[in-house]
Amino acid sequence: MKTALNKKTAIDKRLLAVWAVLSAITLIYLWIDRSADDGGAPTASTAVTVSAIILALVKVRIIMREFMEVRHAPALLRRLTDLWVVLMAASLLGMYFVGKAVA
Amino acid sequence: MTTTQPVTATAKEPRRVPGQPDMWVFVLFESLVFTSYFGVYLYYRAQREEAFLQAQSHLDLWLGVLGTIVLLTSSWSVARCVQTARAGQYRAATRDAFLTAGFGVAFLALKIVEWTGHVQAGHTFTSDDFFQHYFFLTAIHCVHLLIGFVVLGVLVHQLASPDRRSQETVETCATYWHTVDFFWVLIFALLYVVR
Repeated sequence: MKTALNKKTAIDKRLLAVWAVLSAITLIYLWIDRSADDGGAPTASTAVTVSAIILALVKVRIIMREFMEVRHAPALLRRLTDLWVVLMAASLLGMYFVGKAVA
Repeated sequence: MTTTQPVTATAKEPRRVPGQPDMWVFVLFESLVFTSYFGVYLYYRAQREEAFLQAQSHLDLWLGVLGTIVLLTSSWSVARCVQTARAGQYRAATRDAFLTAGFGVAFLALKIVEWTGHVQAGHTFTSDDFFQHYFFLTAIHCVHLLIGFVVLGVLVHQLASPDRRSQETVETCATYWHTVDFFWVLIFALLYVVR
């Protein structure tokens, strides 16, 4: 009984820590946005775009590993989800840079 | 003696796929569909940065951040629901499921407030390229969220009766809800922050 309770407390703490990390990363966006402003109208920024995409994918991976319990899943699912995150990063950044090159 | 077992004992549990594998096929497929659309958006955006930035400046980043944190909180509570159900605490699990739905409703309310504001200011689906993407992405996400409420209904129905309870179904429902959450994490970054 005590073991179950200990385990439960540990689980609660871990989930809460994951939530705090995800929320903190979300708040970083406010800082990024503010520091990219020169007081005037917003300007295009490759650094902001790339970091926004990477931070979002870091969050996606944390959600998959922790909230979706992929961390306890068989290797196939762990590798597939990681591959997907890499695939998303390559597609999004790739399309952005191709778009910029074509412009 | 056994009561002093360390809390890290979970690492020795056998590895298994959370929920039904079919749900994971859906998650991975749907991620590809969304990724394709995101790619198209970024491609066009990169070519007309000034026009997109001008329209994007009408979005409220704080409102976007608030919505994201509300949805992340809903993901946290459904993750808790899975764990409490696994521990056999079905009352707590049902409470977590209702809490998840509550945060989902709060997110939806924020979205409606936001949409209303934009439409009243004259920014609609047809006003420009940015708002076309904005309304399309937020609406398609909302459809997924609405399906999420049905999924949570299934979850609560499952938990209500000992005859129906299945941990696999609980996990499958939670996996769907988390997917709605991480799609929003991406949509938020692409619509509100990217510049």
